Formats: sequence, C-alpha cells, structure tokens
Amino acid sequence: MSDVFPKWTNKLPTFVLVAAAAAGTAVVAGSWYYFTPKYTRVGYQPLQPVSFSHHIHVEQLGMDCRYCHDGVEKSYHSNIPSSTLCMNCHNQVLKDDPRLALVRESAGTGKPVPWVWIHKTPDYVFFNHAVHVNRGISCVHCHGQINLMDEVQHAKPLSMAFCLECHRQPEAFIRPPGQVFNLNWQPESPTKQLADGARLVREWKVEKLENCSACHR
Amino acid sequence: MKTVPPPCPEPETGPQYWRSLEQLAETPAFQEWLEREFPDGASEWTDPVSRRHFVRIMSASFLLMGVGLTTGCRRPEEKILPFTKQPPGYTHGVPQYFATAMPLRGSATPLLVKSYDGRPVKLEGNPEHPLNRRPDGPAHGGTDAITQASILNLYDPDRAQRFTYKGENVAREKALDALAAAGKAALAGQGRGLAWLSGRSSSPSQLRLLEELRQRFPQARGYVYEPVDFDIHRQAATLTFGESVKPRYHLEKARRILALDCDFIGSENDAWHLIGGFARGRRLESPSDPLNRLYVVEPVMSLTGTNADHRLRLPASQVFPFLAAMFAEFMDLARAADTTPGAADFAAGLKERARSLSAEARKWASACLKDLAAHPGEVVVLAGHRQPLAVHVLANAMNFYLQGAGRTVSWIAAPEPPAGTIQELAAALDAGEIETLVILGGNPVYDAPADLDWAATQRKAKTIFRLGYHEDETAAVCDWHLPEAHYLESWGDARTLDGTLVPVQPLIEPLFGGLTALEVLARLGGLPAVKPYEIVRETFRHIAGADAFDEKWKRFLHDGHLPDSAAKTVTPQDVNWSAAAPAVLAGPALPAPGPQALEVVFLRDAKVDDGRFNNNGWLQELPDPITKLTWDNALLVSPATARALGVYRVRDHYIGNAISLKTRMPVVKIELAGRSIEAPVWVQPGMADHVLGLTLGYGRLRTGRVGKGAGYNAYALRTAAAPYIAAGAKAAAAGRDYELATTQNHWAMKGRPIIREANLAEYEKNRRFARAMDMPEPKLGARPIYPNPLEEAARTAPHQWAMSIDLGQCVGCAACVIACQSENNIPIVGKEQVGRNREMHWMRLDRYYLGPEEHPQVVQQPMLCQHCEAAPCENVCPVNATVHDQEGLNVMVYNRCVGTRYCSNNCPYKVRRFNFFDYNRRPLDQLYRSPLTSFNDGEWELKRWFKNPDRGSRPQDEWDLLKLARNPDVTVRMRGVMEKCTFCVQRLEQAKIAQKVRAGASGDTTVKEGAVKTACQQACPAEAITFGNLKDPHSAVSRARAHERTYMVLDYLATKPRVTYLARVRNPNPEMPDYHETPLSTREYLDHGGMLHGHGPEPHGESAAAHAEQKGGH
Repeated sequence: MSDVFPKWTNKLPTFVLVAAAAAGTAVVAGSWYYFTPKYTRVGYQPLQPVSFSHHIHVEQLGMDCRYCHDGVEKSYHSNIPSSTLCMNCHNQVLKDDPRLALVRESAGTGKPVPWVWIHKTPDYVFFNHAVHVNRGISCVHCHGQINLMDEVQHAKPLSMAFCLECHRQPEAFIRPPGQVFNLNWQPESPTKQLADGARLVREWKVEKLENCSACHR
Repeated sequence: MKTVPPPCPEPETGPQYWRSLEQLAETPAFQEWLEREFPDGASEWTDPVSRRHFVRIMSASFLLMGVGLTTGCRRPEEKILPFTKQPPGYTHGVPQYFATAMPLRGSATPLLVKSYDGRPVKLEGNPEHPLNRRPDGPAHGGTDAITQASILNLYDPDRAQRFTYKGENVAREKALDALAAAGKAALAGQGRGLAWLSGRSSSPSQLRLLEELRQRFPQARGYVYEPVDFDIHRQAATLTFGESVKPRYHLEKARRILALDCDFIGSENDAWHLIGGFARGRRLESPSDPLNRLYVVEPVMSLTGTNADHRLRLPASQVFPFLAAMFAEFMDLARAADTTPGAADFAAGLKERARSLSAEARKWASACLKDLAAHPGEVVVLAGHRQPLAVHVLANAMNFYLQGAGRTVSWIAAPEPPAGTIQELAAALDAGEIETLVILGGNPVYDAPADLDWAATQRKAKTIFRLGYHEDETAAVCDWHLPEAHYLESWGDARTLDGTLVPVQPLIEPLFGGLTALEVLARLGGLPAVKPYEIVRETFRHIAGADAFDEKWKRFLHDGHLPDSAAKTVTPQDVNWSAAAPAVLAGPALPAPGPQALEVVFLRDAKVDDGRFNNNGWLQELPDPITKLTWDNALLVSPATARALGVYRVRDHYIGNAISLKTRMPVVKIELAGRSIEAPVWVQPGMADHVLGLTLGYGRLRTGRVGKGAGYNAYALRTAAAPYIAAGAKAAAAGRDYELATTQNHWAMKGRPIIREANLAEYEKNRRFARAMDMPEPKLGARPIYPNPLEEAARTAPHQWAMSIDLGQCVGCAACVIACQSENNIPIVGKEQVGRNREMHWMRLDRYYLGPEEHPQVVQQPMLCQHCEAAPCENVCPVNATVHDQEGLNVMVYNRCVGTRYCSNNCPYKVRRFNFFDYNRRPLDQLYRSPLTSFNDGEWELKRWFKNPDRGSRPQDEWDLLKLARNPDVTVRMRGVMEKCTFCVQRLEQAKIAQKVRAGASGDTTVKEGAVKTACQQACPAEAITFGNLKDPHSAVSRARAHERTYMVLDYLATKPRVTYLARVRNPNPEMPDYHETPLSTREYLDHGGMLHGHGPEPHGESAAAHAEQKGGH
C-alpha cells in the first residue's frame, strides 16, 4: 500500500491532545483568574455624576456614616442619602459651587441624582446591613477604607468566598460595637483581635452561619 | 501582573475626552482622567515611553474600550436613584403596616396590610380588632381565602382603567362633569327619574350620603341588589322579634350546633369569624375538655358538612319540612300548646308542612332535637342564606327558646334603610320612569335574575352611569363608565359583623385614577365634600363626636377600629308570634324533588363568590375545597342521580386508583322554567338525590384574560322568584364530554393512617390512639459510623423550628393555601397544566372520602413540606441544592438547582413543586412556545430576550402590575427550579435579624415565642396551625408535639418530620340513627389490619438531638 497519509500526520493526535489540554488549562486558568469577582469587581471605580469625596466629608469634617446612610442600622438596605440631606449643609457651604449644581437641581426639581451603583450582590443573595452593623461588623470589612476614598471604589470582591471568610471565623473580624463606624480603628494585634473577638462571639452568641438559608431564600 | 481594569463607558455628564491620540497624550484632562480611572495603572504613564510603545498599548486598550463600549465592560452600569426628599419615618426595606378592612356586602373583614415601598403586598387579619381578641391567649386575626386573594384584584391588568362614554375614552373631568350635570338636572325635578342601584354595604358614610341624597332628591329611588344576599338573616330576625335586629353568633360558646343548609364555614357571611368560634369549641387538651357537636342538614356536600359529626342529606326544599317537624316536636316537648293560645294550631300547621319528610329524616330530627333540648343555653341553630324566610324565623325562635340569647347568639340592633329590589327597578324601567340610572359596582347584566332580561331592561334608562371595577357585561350596557377604585386604594369605612366601625384606609394612590362609591354619590348629589377622605372624616365626626377629634381619628386609623362602637345588643322578650307565625306558614309546601322534577340549588362559589372574583387567577386555580376542581365549575349530582341520568362514569377515583387528572366528564343539559344551560357533571358523594347543584360566578361573557372561558353560567337559569332553590328542573345527557382539571383524583386513604381520628368515647378510653396507629419503623441495622452534623448544630443553634397542625380544628377552608401563594410569589399555571398535576401550591389540602358514597364521611388535611430531619430529598440532589440548615429547616437553594427532579421523586409526601415552564414570565397560553422561532407583537422572541432577559413575554400592562404584586423578600423562581414550603424562611430570617438588631451587643438572640408566624399560621381563621421553637420547652409547638394526640404522617418511613398533626376527635351522638362507633377512616384502617391499641412508641416531645442521645444515635 502506498502512503495515504503524509508522515507529519503521525504527530497529529498527540499534537491535538496536547493543544487541547493546553487550551483547556488556559481557559480554566483564565476564567479562574479573570472571571472571578476578585478580578472583575475589585477596583471598579466608575465616574459619579457628582464628585462626592468621602475623604473630605468623613475624615476632614468628621461626619458619621449614619448621618447620610441612616437606614443602615434599621434595614437590609443602606440608603444613598436624599438630595435634600446634602442641601442641609450645602445650602450654605459651597452654596454656588458648580460641582454641586446637579444636587441643587435635584433638590429643587425632584429629579433624583443618578448615582452609579457600585456594590451590588446578585439577586439571589439577600444581604442585610442592619444585622451586621449592629453586631460588630464595621463598614470597612466589606467596603474598604471608604473614609479615605475620594471616589468610591469597589475594594473587596464581595464573592461568596469572601462572605464565608468572616462567617466561618467571625472572631477575626468582630469589633466592639462603638467602633463599628470608626473606620480607622485597628485591633492592637491579631492575637488580641482573636481573643477579644472570641469573647464577643461567645457573649453575643454570634452564630457561624454557613447554611444556605442565611443568605439565599 | 498589574491588573489594569478595562475602561468603563463614559458617564452621561462630563466632558468629551479626546479627539485624537496625540491630543489625548498631551492634554492634562486625559492625565487627570487616567489618574482617576486607573488609580493603580496611572503610575505606568509617568515612566518615559516611546511613541511606538505608547501607540501599541493605547491602541490595544482602545480596542478593548471599543469592545467594552459595545458589549459593556464588567457589568452594565446601573444607577441608584435615591429620594430627593426622604419621606419622614420611612426606611427603605422596612415594611410598613396599615390597618384597613375589606368590605364585603353588609359586613367587613378587619385587616392589617403589609406595605413595601408604598404598595401593599400581603393581607393579614387585624389582631387589634375586638372580634380577634381572645380571652385565653394572644389575639389572632384570621382571614379567609377570598380575602387573602383580594390583593391580586388590585393588580389585575383587566380592571377598568379609563373613563369611557359609550365605549370610547373620555377625560376624567368630562365624565365627572357629566355626573354632576346629571345630578343638577335631577335636582330640578326633585329627583324624579333618578335612581341608583348598589350592593349591600355596611358603610356608615355611604348610608349618610344616601340619606343626604334622599333629602336632596325626594322623588329619587334607591335600589339594592346582591345576587347572593345575606340580608335574610336580618329580615328574619326583625320579623321574629318585631325589632330591627340581626343575629350574631358566638359559636365558641355553643356545645351543640345545628346547621340547616348553612355552610357557615364556607359560603356564609363572615365565615372567618364563625370558623374561629367553631374551632375554639373543638380545642381539646384532654378528653374532659368540652367538645362541641355539629349537626348538619344540607343538600350539597359543603365544608360545614365535612366537619359535621352527624350529617343528613336532604334536598334544600325539604329543610323547611325538617325544621317544621323538629319545631313541632319541640313545642310538644315544651308543652307549648298547654300554655300558649294558638300554639296548638301553629303546631298542627307545622306538622302539615312536614308531610313530605321521609321517615329516616324524621327519626334523625327527633334524635337531634333531644340532644339540642338537653343543652339549653349552649345550643345554636343556624339557617343558611339559601333557605326561605320561614326557616330562618323558626331557627331564630328555636335559638330563643333554647335560651341562646346572650350566650350562643345575640341579637344586635341593625337598622336598614329602605331600598327597593331589583324587580321593582325592572318594573320602573319597563314603565319608562327612570331617566338617569347610577349603578354602583355590581354586575347586574351578568347576575340579575334571568326572567328580568336585565340587559334589555337596563338599557331602557335614558342615561346610565356605572361605577365598575371591570369593563364587564354591565359596562357594555351603559353610557358613562367610571373605573372603580379597589378597597386597598380607597378611603371609606365599614362595620364588621358586630357593628364595630372600621376604617377602609388606602395603601396606595388609585393606580388608574379610580373613584369610590362615596365620591360618585357625593358628586351626583352636588355635595360640597367630594373627596372620600373628607366624607369619611365627617362621618367619623358624627359617630365619635367632635371633641379630641384628631386624636380619636389617628387612633381610629392606627388601631383599625373605633372602640366601643359595636351595635347594641337587644334582649328580646319573646318571639313576635303574631307576625312570625303567619310568615312561617305562608306559602305552599314545596314537594320533594323526584327524578322528573329535579331540584336546582344555586350555590355561592367558594372561590369566585358570585362572580366578582372571576378574573382572579389565584382563586380560579385554588382547588374547590370539596370537588378539588380548578378553573371550572361543574354540575354537582349525587351518585344515584348520576346513574339515573346515565352519566355516572366509573372513574375508579373512589376506589383509589389515581388516573389522569384531566377528567373528561359528560355534559348534561338542564332545563328549568323554559330556560336551559349545559354543564359538565361532577358526581359528588354525599349529595342529596334528585338535586342539581349549580355554582354561580362562572361562564362570564365579558371578563379578563384569566376568567375567559371558565365554566358555565348558572345565572341563566336563575329567576327572581326562586333565586336559591328552584323546583321542576329536567336534565338529560347532552351527548358530549368536557374536560375538567382537578388537583386530587384519588379520594381514598386505603386503610393507611394518614388522617387519624377517633370518637370522643374512644379517646377517653384510649388516650394514645393516634400513636397506636403508627406502623413499625424499619430496622435500621447497625449504628451509623459518622456523627450526624445536624445533632451538633441542633445543640448550638438558638432555634429549632417545628409546626403542629390540629386536624380537629382545621376545617379545610384553604385560607392557608392562598396566604402561602400570596406570601411566596407562587405563580398560577393555568387549567391545562393543572390537568398535568403541575399546580404550584406549596400547601395543599388533601380531602378523602370514607364509607359508602351516598353518605360518606369526609376528612381534610393540610399537607406541606414536612421538613424531615432525615429528608429523603436531601440525599439525592446531585448538586446539593436542598440542604438542611442548623435550625431544622429543609432549605431550597434556587440558584443551585438544575432541575433533576430527583428530590420530588423521592419525597413521600409529594410536596415539592417543579417549575416546568416559565409560569411567571410567559402568558399561560404560550408556555410551550419555542423561544427560537416565535414572533410576538412584531418582534422575534430572541431579540426581545437579548434586549432585556428579565422582561418575559407577558404583555406590558400585565407585566407592570404583576411585578407590584410580588413579595420582595422571596425569590421569584424561574423555569427548571424546584420549590416547596420553606416555613416562610424569609419571615424567620426577618425575625431573627430583628431580634439580633434589638439584642445588639448582647446574647439575647432567641426569637420570642409568637414573634414570628408563618403565612399559613397567620391566615388560618381556626388557629389550627402552631409554629415555633422546639428548643423552648414552654412554646406552644413544644407542648403540641408532646401531646398524646400527636402523630406524624407516614411515620414508618422514618423521615422524622418537623410537622406533626393532632388527630381529629369526632363527637357523635350514640342516639342518632347514623351513629358510627368508630369514624369510618379508623374503620377502614382497622379493616386493613390496623391496631388501635398495642405498642406506644416514644413521644415526639424531645428534640432530635436529645432523641438521638437517648437512642444512641439510632
């Protein structure tokens, strides 16, 4: 019989297998790295319609988080403040500043300021703010050092693994209730955090909630 | 590697950034932008780079930006739109509760409505209302199925949304001006030619306005028409005692109840309240507790009949002879003839009227009377709304003479302003006397008596204004159609059955600018105050007084009732025999029906009422409590009558083989007084022979997308002379079949102890009869090697949830089914899918017949996910979508489910429901459509999906309203996902969160007893469902679980359910001719080899962990 196939086709199956394995690994590795929340979400810093700086308002002026986000202690939803709340101060401070034109217009006309949504969990996740901030989890754990941000940036991945880190070990993150809204607070040392945290977990009967119904209903 | 995120699309505001690459590199704006958008990557640009390198990188990133701009980068930019001005006291995400009431005919149901984001999502009973207070426990506001479903009517896309004149859209102002002009024109003639037609209403504001209109228009006439009218109770009581009174029943105080064609559990007014009283009389901690006894005499099997201890099936026309015979015997017993003049003649007259009564019925009546007479002061006789006046008068008299006054029944003041009947209105119209007719609500073209030919008659008025909720049959025969506001959008008031004033408070602005009856009347009369809010306040001022008005008004709205506003109780001295006796003996005795002269009984439907809820999807899909039919009504006949007609189809259902749920039944043509209709037959065990039961409310000619094509129209046979009971009908098979969809086609338990019951005598002797009926569990062999992680979790978790359902108190009313549907966003699936057993109700009521089909015993059982500790469904899920949480709940994680359906396969209780199709987002008649090839509304389905995957393919108007009805706390499930009862996990989580927020920096994290109620528990008017924390030994559910009557369904499968049932205890009278020594279900169980005595397994009181410790991990 003469050669039906040229010689180089002998190497073809091996080549295909190796290439397929390499491609598969590349796809998996690529997805693992690029399509997880740690990559896709962290660093998201969209341009907001009004250049509100948390650094100025929280660090320099010393405002408490709850002045604007007043629903955070009562509801699952931490609300963006209304335009009239901004005008509480800004009808005097920076009264005519062009950067606040949109806020003034909104408070006057009733058209809301279209803030860009940064921190969002999927619809099948039911997250409740009130139970976290009332039980010793600070804003900084999930939102990063937002008090130092001039423009809000998505600092943590907010993936399920991220949530479980704390749910599995609340003593590593829980802090005295008075320090929840003090975003600059640091524990004296990691061991002190674990020791104090363990005590608080015991006293407050904090549950290590890993069951599905805690967040997915 | 430096993570340089791809750039995001430019925001709406902000400067344009670049025109060319060169400019971009050099402009400071770009630098600034770079700094902000790429905080980490910005440093890269401070390094000196070559132009070439720059171009290479920039072009790559601009390519990505280009890609990003067309497909979106990380995720589409979404906006948060906060308030511009925060409403005071409002926090988004925290529900608000408002007290209101649902007015229905001459009464109202007090409600507490949960509102999210300014729209109502769930209705509950108002525990603050005096009717809901309990002397021996926490207040409980029960509701019924119709009330629970009424919220869906608010979001009905087919409701009237526009003002029309002769069918064309007009502006609201134009219609209102026309109304005012009509009133002004009528004023000139003192109202001659003006008439209004309304339904029954308990609203004091409406009464006040009508009175003002009567004064303004002395010649105008008011008419009242209700197709199903409960006013007979008041009329009879007024006649009986000579004072304007109506009866109010205290069933909780009654030890003996006789219901004469009175379905007080199902189709009488204020059933929710009567169920509560009745159920309280069935509460048994031990056999020595008082237990009531219910005697029922009825033609058609009703819910009340299923709860009866003794039931006599009797044609409706024979109920009067029955009561006449009983009353005559009662008079003999009391030797009334000796003391009262005329009594002997009256008794003779009664005996004459009782001639047609069968011997069997006579014996039954006699034995029943003996029992009633032996319990004076603890007896109540109830007559149903279908029965003629004579029956009601005698019933009132019996209640009086059995010393029920002030105990089991009180007669309360009930003045009723005069109003004409619809027959009088028809006569006036025929005579051409009506110029302007104003119709407030109702649907007379559909439900007026057929002999009035109402469609043509109504048109004889020159101008017709109609305030209607739907553009229905009546809207087609009117000039001006005004959209009516739903009660959840209206200001109004009403009186509950005891006369207490309740507010009707709006939860939302009228969605389509609808009007209330108050506003229409005010505008017609040209009254100064036309806003319903002002009208109601004015009425309140009249009733409550003007001092401290604002304080009282606020409290009125907050509490949902006005304290001490109940009607005065009247203590009658005696029956006014001079008027009552002739009323009783008036009219000829109706002969008993026979094969050639069948009796027709017109029944108020348990779901769509008289037709007003015909377009309500939840109610259409709710299985009828007795027949389990959905989406249709049927002609009810007894087995013997069906055989006589030749339409008895052996379907094996009664023997117990479940076959296709799409039931083809023969159609029968019924002729009555020259009119005829055709209807599919349904063989109803326990019905009286030669009686045809027709349910009203279906077969609408002009209804919405839900009600279209559902059922036959029974109103076509109904005449003014015989609105409830008609004689002389003929029926014959029509020669064709009709397919009916029913949810339960197997009606027998086959000797399995699923529903356990015993007579009181047996219970006294054998306290643990329920547990004795347990079957032995399989031997599980060796101990498991691994510790069960749930046992550890059970020790540390603060709660272990469990539920207990008392079958002695559950009456089968199905309020729980609709409450669950409302709370958990459960979709409806349509008739065709119900026929394939795909209905989505998480909670269902199983109904079984026991004994001979002529007079069976009926038992009902609510069945829901049992949250088994050893759940068969959890082991078999390949993706771990159903897991057990540490508090004992069997949790369903929708986002993990891939739709294998193995869990449903493995569930022995068959409580898991699968979303076979996208019931939420697709119209129900397009479920099978392929998304690849369908073309809808000028758009390809795929293109529509691509533009907005979440949108679904329902019409826009339906979609917008459907979204509003959803509970935001609960996921809306998609096709391909399993769902089942979650013990209202959203409510549990909310309660736990609320408790933890309250606890804050403390360990008080256990939810208090009674703080959380599941939807079914809260809606149940009988308080049959107990739910709570098993870890608390004093909680109601712990005590219920440890009770001797507690058992588990299918206990031998060792699933260890967290839902337990309390066995039912019947209280039959040994002297009665139909006395059974054991209930027929127990009889069947014993015949199949069961035991009532013998082994008594361990009580269920301990928690799983303790139990396991005791048994060493078994």
